Amino acid sequence: MCEDYLNEFRHCKSFSNRFHHYYAYGTFPACHQWKEDYHNCRQWETHSNTEAKEALQKSERTRVAEQKNFKPVWELRREPPRDWHMPLNQENPRDS
Amino acid sequence: MDQTKQDEDYGYELFPERHEGMHKKSPFKEALTTFNHKCQFMLQVAMETSPYAKLLLSAMNNSGCKVSKDRHFSCEDCDGSVSGGFDAASSQVVLCQNNIHQQAHMNRVVTHELIHAFDHCRAHVDWFNNFRHLACSEIRAANLSGDCSFTNEASRFHLGLKEHHQECVRGRALRSILAVRKISREEAQKIVDEVFDSCFNDHAPFGRIPHSKKDAKFAYRDYMNRSRYYANL
Repeated sequence: MCEDYLNEFRHCKSFSNRFHHYYAYGTFPACHQWKEDYHNCRQWETHSNTEAKEALQKSERTRVAEQKNFKPVWELRREPPRDWHMPLNQENPRDS
Repeated sequence: MDQTKQDEDYGYELFPERHEGMHKKSPFKEALTTFNHKCQFMLQVAMETSPYAKLLLSAMNNSGCKVSKDRHFSCEDCDGSVSGGFDAASSQVVLCQNNIHQQAHMNRVVTHELIHAFDHCRAHVDWFNNFRHLACSEIRAANLSGDCSFTNEASRFHLGLKEHHQECVRGRALRSILAVRKISREEAQKIVDEVFDSCFNDHAPFGRIPHSKKDAKFAYRDYMNRSRYYANL
């Protein structure tokens, strides 16, 4: 499982990823965090180093938080739309 | 409000087979004279092999909107050069069988429309009355489906490099809105600009902008591992 971090690091540093990052953001990606995460992961795996584990968890929590770093335009649902599964001939598009 | 006006307001005239009162062709004639079978086949391939599509289907399943090929997809003839659409009223993705002729294109259209379906499933998107919502979903779909990849843009002779992806996303979102709603270009541009920052950064369910199939595979792997991932945090 720690290999996933190494793969992400390699992918991050690859020419095509750097190219795409520049194409999308106008800057080059910062990849060092993946490498650190890989080291911490290995430390935890092989030496049960709790400090390393906590550092890794902190890094991942930051990643999750970054994903939510925007104000949503719409309200999220608590349940899926009721008519998603309804058979077609029962729906009249003009009613909605 | 009479039906024709409503249809025009929401872009239904692009999808003539969805118009009320259209005479349905016989299935036999349909099979011989249209691209229906080819469309169905390419759709099946897309759902089974494209990591973009597989991730979206999985995310929708987990959001309570299991996607059934026969119920939620429809291959139809469409007007003009439009490739597909999402009809929230019937919860269906429309694929334009007369305008999609290559598997790569099908993969992209399926991904694009499934992003709309995913938004419909997980949020209260007011497709018909709220232009900000419509713009947001179009921005996300252009951003995350590969519509604006360097290769696709280059094939349209839109050559640009630094942050060109964002320019492309803005442009395509604008075009999509103008195609289905009666609104001025200036107004549409203003709305796109207003919601751009929020919607460009909303990468759900991918967790990243998948620039390539490899990115999409990484994202798919992450998505499938997410319950173990969140538990460990």
